[in-house]
Amino acid sequence: MALKDFKADMERCSQCSYCKWVPLDHVKSWRFAKGCPSIAYSNFLSYSARGRYAVALSLLKGQSTITDKVVDIVYKCTTCGSCDVADKICRYNLEPLEMIREMRFHLVEKGKVLPEHTRLIEHIRKEGNMMLEPAARRGDWAKGLDVKIVTREPAGVLFHAGCRASYDKDLQETARSAVAILKKAGVDIGIMGADETCCGGRVYDMGYKDDFKKLAEQTVAVWKKAGVKTVVTACADGYYAFSRLYPKLLGAEIEVFHITQYLDRLIKEGKLKLRKRVPLRVTYHDPCHLGRQGEPYVPWDGKEIKVKNQIVVYEPRRPRYNGAWGVYDPPRDVLKSIPGIELVEMERIREYAWCCGAGGACREAYPEFSGWTAAERIEEARATGAEAIVSACPWCERNFIDAVSATGDKLKVYDVIDLVKQAI
Amino acid sequence: MAIPKEAYQALEDIVGEANISNDPAVLDCYRYPLTHTAIHLGPYYRVYTPRGAAVLLPGSTEEVQAIVRLCNKYKIRFKPSSTFWSAWGFPLEDDTIQLDMRRMDKIIEIDEKNMYAVVEPHVIGAILQAEAMKLGLNTHIHGPGSSCSCLASATSLGGLGPDTLYMGHHSENLIGAEWVMADGDVLKVGAAGSGLGWFCCDGPGPSLKGLVRGMIGANGSMGVFTKAAIKLYPWPGPATLPVTGKPPAYKAVLPDNIRAYTLGFPSWKAWADSCYLLWDNMIGYVAHRQFNMFGRDLKGAMVKILSDPTRTLYDIVELAEDPETRKLNDAMMRDYQIVLAGMTPADIDWQDKALDVILKQTGGWKVQGMMQPDLYDWSLLYMIRLGHKNLNLVYGGGYDGAFGLGGTPDFGTSAAEEGGIPRVEEVTAFKREWEKKGNIVASGGDGMMGGIGGMGGGGHGLWENFTHFDPHDKASTEGTLEFFNACSQFGIEKGWGPGMEKMNDYARWTDGYTTPKDIHDRILSAAAQPEAFRYQRKIKETFNPNDLGDAYYRTLDDPGK
Amino acid sequence: MAVKKELASVVSPKLISDDPATLESYARDESFVRPMKPRLVVKPASIDEVPAIVAWAKQTGTPLVPVSSGAPHGRGDTVPSVPEAVIIDLSGLKKIMRIDRRNKVAMVEAGVTYPQLQKELAKAGLRLDTPLLPRANKSVVASLVEREPTLIPRVKWASLDPLRCTEIIWGDGHRLVTGDAGNWTSMEEAWKRKQAAVGPTGPGQADFYRFVSAAQGSLGIVTWASVRCEVLPDPHKLYFVPAKRADDLLDFVYRILRFRYADELFILNNASLASVLGGKPARVRALMEELPPWVALVGIAGRSILPGERVAYQEKDISGIAQQFGLKLLPAVPGAGSGEVLRAILNPSPEPYWKNGGRNAYQEIFFLTTLNRTPDFIGTMTAVAEAEGYPVADIGVYIQPLHQGVNCHCEFILPYDRANPREASRMQTLFTRGSEALLREGAFFSRPYGIWAGLAYNRDARTTEVLKKLKGIFDPAGVMNPGKLCF
Repeated sequence: MALKDFKADMERCSQCSYCKWVPLDHVKSWRFAKGCPSIAYSNFLSYSARGRYAVALSLLKGQSTITDKVVDIVYKCTTCGSCDVADKICRYNLEPLEMIREMRFHLVEKGKVLPEHTRLIEHIRKEGNMMLEPAARRGDWAKGLDVKIVTREPAGVLFHAGCRASYDKDLQETARSAVAILKKAGVDIGIMGADETCCGGRVYDMGYKDDFKKLAEQTVAVWKKAGVKTVVTACADGYYAFSRLYPKLLGAEIEVFHITQYLDRLIKEGKLKLRKRVPLRVTYHDPCHLGRQGEPYVPWDGKEIKVKNQIVVYEPRRPRYNGAWGVYDPPRDVLKSIPGIELVEMERIREYAWCCGAGGACREAYPEFSGWTAAERIEEARATGAEAIVSACPWCERNFIDAVSATGDKLKVYDVIDLVKQAI
Repeated sequence: MAIPKEAYQALEDIVGEANISNDPAVLDCYRYPLTHTAIHLGPYYRVYTPRGAAVLLPGSTEEVQAIVRLCNKYKIRFKPSSTFWSAWGFPLEDDTIQLDMRRMDKIIEIDEKNMYAVVEPHVIGAILQAEAMKLGLNTHIHGPGSSCSCLASATSLGGLGPDTLYMGHHSENLIGAEWVMADGDVLKVGAAGSGLGWFCCDGPGPSLKGLVRGMIGANGSMGVFTKAAIKLYPWPGPATLPVTGKPPAYKAVLPDNIRAYTLGFPSWKAWADSCYLLWDNMIGYVAHRQFNMFGRDLKGAMVKILSDPTRTLYDIVELAEDPETRKLNDAMMRDYQIVLAGMTPADIDWQDKALDVILKQTGGWKVQGMMQPDLYDWSLLYMIRLGHKNLNLVYGGGYDGAFGLGGTPDFGTSAAEEGGIPRVEEVTAFKREWEKKGNIVASGGDGMMGGIGGMGGGGHGLWENFTHFDPHDKASTEGTLEFFNACSQFGIEKGWGPGMEKMNDYARWTDGYTTPKDIHDRILSAAAQPEAFRYQRKIKETFNPNDLGDAYYRTLDDPGK
Repeated sequence: MAVKKELASVVSPKLISDDPATLESYARDESFVRPMKPRLVVKPASIDEVPAIVAWAKQTGTPLVPVSSGAPHGRGDTVPSVPEAVIIDLSGLKKIMRIDRRNKVAMVEAGVTYPQLQKELAKAGLRLDTPLLPRANKSVVASLVEREPTLIPRVKWASLDPLRCTEIIWGDGHRLVTGDAGNWTSMEEAWKRKQAAVGPTGPGQADFYRFVSAAQGSLGIVTWASVRCEVLPDPHKLYFVPAKRADDLLDFVYRILRFRYADELFILNNASLASVLGGKPARVRALMEELPPWVALVGIAGRSILPGERVAYQEKDISGIAQQFGLKLLPAVPGAGSGEVLRAILNPSPEPYWKNGGRNAYQEIFFLTTLNRTPDFIGTMTAVAEAEGYPVADIGVYIQPLHQGVNCHCEFILPYDRANPREASRMQTLFTRGSEALLREGAFFSRPYGIWAGLAYNRDARTTEVLKKLKGIFDPAGVMNPGKLCF
């Protein structure tokens, strides 16, 4: 696709501004009504999906050029997809998130990129990770862990740690816990260790389509060689990349689970018993790429047609990714299985959750915006009276840890895995 | 730069560098495509409103005043808007600066006892409703829905909506305002002007609320409103709406004292009779012919699609042809939706019984197909929160409203001559014919949506005949324009004059700029009382001496000038 | 005289009077405003004559003072503030132009009175919400245009309800019809199309009718108006909720307003209720002793659908609400029964006017506020009365929730003996000091008669400035009742 392929969307955008808010039915207060962090932070219309449609159209029509401001507009977006959900409550023929990604592809093609992204991409090309760390140290998180390395011996299920969990000292223990829990549940688990590379999800979000394809092809090739059929990951970005981007762009067929789905199944099958009390009042943060963007991939290749003269539909029936079928309940069910845990919900949850701020490579390129977004979420978590915010993605958790530390807040930050570990 | 450099610098000094931009791409986000909704002109294919000279995000009344004073000094036009959902909020001329009121989004206070709220421009209906509900109160949400600014509706635009029969028209609900007038002075209207609070918009003496707005407001052409006091209403429901469901099929199961029905009637006379009986007996919390906007032939299919998360628009043809859906359409042919809200069990019981009596007297019915739980809960939430109003555009992305047939229910539902066809059926037949040409959605001719009561307590209403088209499609857009022109001509022939489809022709023309003066004057001179617009010219000269607004504020010169 | 001759060139001389007794009757009223004799009185016989009179006044620079109700008047607005004024008395314009039961709207000329209209409305099964015991010769149009409070808060969606469309002759001589009727080229054609003059706003982007509201005739003259009516209630009951203090009633009244129950809903103290019940001074005194100190009056009505059932459940619910606040809903209180009070409030005041309270004169101080603040104002008025030696027990209090509860009219009625010079002098001082004290407390004199104008406009310079500019638009020659408000 190219940016011009979204011209119909650009002209059909009715400028209703629903893209700025959570679905209006779900507005519960003044404080937590906003859905789009980008416009909430930057305020100009341009920073909403509606605005980006207008910017894209302006560029296509040659009415403006890619200025620094345009670059800022295009990249100061966490690609969280809140706009996509809000739009689709009522509109069936708009794909704002796809269009926003297309804008990034377009800017990358034109060489209009951010130095922070350039730095990341160059590193990924060399070292295969988002963390600006050497590839050779990728497997260090698993040192001393008794676990198969699938490139050397086959395993039933591959645990993909992801870039963040592999290198982030505060989060490595979560990855280790994941492996330990799965093993205890009798899962034939293996890891890639130092051979693991970035899933490419963030690279795709940054606009580097070709780099993503290379990374994905590389990963799939290694998996195939290692005989991997099932992948479990604790990273929402990874989950999204493997389950939605890989099939879409590579036609790859892999069985992909997020760790919370897997744990949920194990608990319900009685293979994992959580007996120790963890007395904690928690609230759960839905990661964007696991929640609203975590819907199952449905292959589709078709075209736009019109019925009843001017009703725009698609032949064959096009899947409607509006967040309805994301991974929301498994993490919650896992938490509820832990004795002593009291789960309280924030105002913005599920398909209309507020983003953590890390996505779209905003953490790297716009730390202030990213931090502000996370701080907003922390504020929302505190408003529930929870003692801890729990998520299912190391990127979310890192952003929350930094936000809590910046404010001196006492709110604890956990991954679902951390609490399961405590309960075993 | 379209405005003097020093002026731009001064504006930047007022709002701060982060809150002003003249980047072309940013400015193009502040242009409205005239193929789109609720602007009642056109549609004009690929025509946009003029690009502004700069866009500013003021954060306070003081900043707004400083901006307006500066504009007076440099004679720069300015145009404020809150949510930017209609061409009304965009410039008519080049070299206009756009004020985006987004940063002024506070609810200043809610006086729970005396039932009013004071809000800034960017407080939208959904937010005010959510906060009010925590206190057992509710706000009127006007027709375009809860994504729109309460202040803008109350001070500057229209103001009627589905709940108007109970919660008034926003012109009635405005009980105070803070207004940076076009000359740069600040006026607090009513008791607030004396520092006594926001509880009354009238006085001392002659009510200056009359200057704020009339049937409609000034559309941002006569200064900037920075605060509005909005009357609130009782809400006998839960403090937070218990919304469940998967998108888009959100629904809410509310306590038994809040009930939603779709009512159908055997004839248009019966339909009208029911409106009067509701009003006579003051029954109804929300009452609106809402779902008919999807079209007489398609609404059954659409409500099923919208209330089922597994369905998509792709299913519309199959569903529309399904016998069960056809039955639903038939039952809903002459319909409206109503919500009853009782303050006590006895209250709701009486209201529901009274409604049954009305139905018996008029031969009407509660549409059973809309009573099954998913549809019931979906429609109840829909009518309370009115958070789905971009469904206006669901089909192809474009819609606008034709005709209007405004006035008493008897007007729209009766025939011009004894034994003739009711007007509502005349316009239905007319539109059905035009649907055959293929440029507008074949929805059944009758896409008329409108309130059961255009003012508090009822009294009159409006029938906006929804016309859906594809703004990306030239033939569709131009065909729609042709249709609207024909609607105007039809209205003239029938004696009710051009309808809503041409409502704003007097202000903005086919190129997106101000309507040429001779055309503007001709349109306004054809009004029943051109005198009103001559007075408005004097008002404008007095309070906007440098003419820094635009032609949305209607003025006519004295004859001979 | 020359002026009379000039005026006779535009209207029939039979309509013009310069009879001294007649002039004298317009020269003063019950208020303390300075008396000023007009030069002439003209009484148009048809609304079509009004524009010519106004145009003449503008052309000749003659001050014109509109009057629509019969005498006596009491607020100073009908007494000329400047010499050589001409009174234009519209009280003879008594046509009820139309009663439309279906759309519940009546159209009346400026001189139509409440009893006249209510009688005709009743025949059509309608009733108009009225002020509290208006005078029998009170003009409906004048009352509503002057924003007099009416008894049923729940039917006031707009602050000027039940006033809807108007015809205004502005001080510049032009005619404008406002509201829905302003969009018609012909009334007859509109009625043929089954339209009704029911919407009040516009035409256009100004609510012109609001400019003449509470304007004391200083911008234009309203020659006719349409009014929104209610279905004649049947059954219609009135209840009392007595209390020792006004404060005790507030939460109850707020709850009734919130529920939008009850038709008539207002608060009286014993003095004002005794005056409403009326009679000779001795009886009024006796009633004051017998009646509860404070009472909320609650009207409950049924209309065309299940009327009896409606009344029954509201009686029960309201009684329950009263109980929640330690109060009782009663059909009678010592000194007053439902029937007689209901009869009183559904009819105009007998003569002598009820506010006299068994004396021969009264003064009234009224303003707008919110219900929760009324006890503060009661305290202030009481303190001022005590300081001036006025018997506190004689102060009548009337609190009328308005606009569905957003604000309320708060009124102090001060009967006295006009014939007693000391009392009269004391009353003038009390009136002034009371008004000033209440203003300081936060009273909003939204209808600024007499001295209240100075008080009110001194607090709001910007509004004053804007009003003067409006005056320049609608009455450029400054002929409409000059000297009133801030003009």
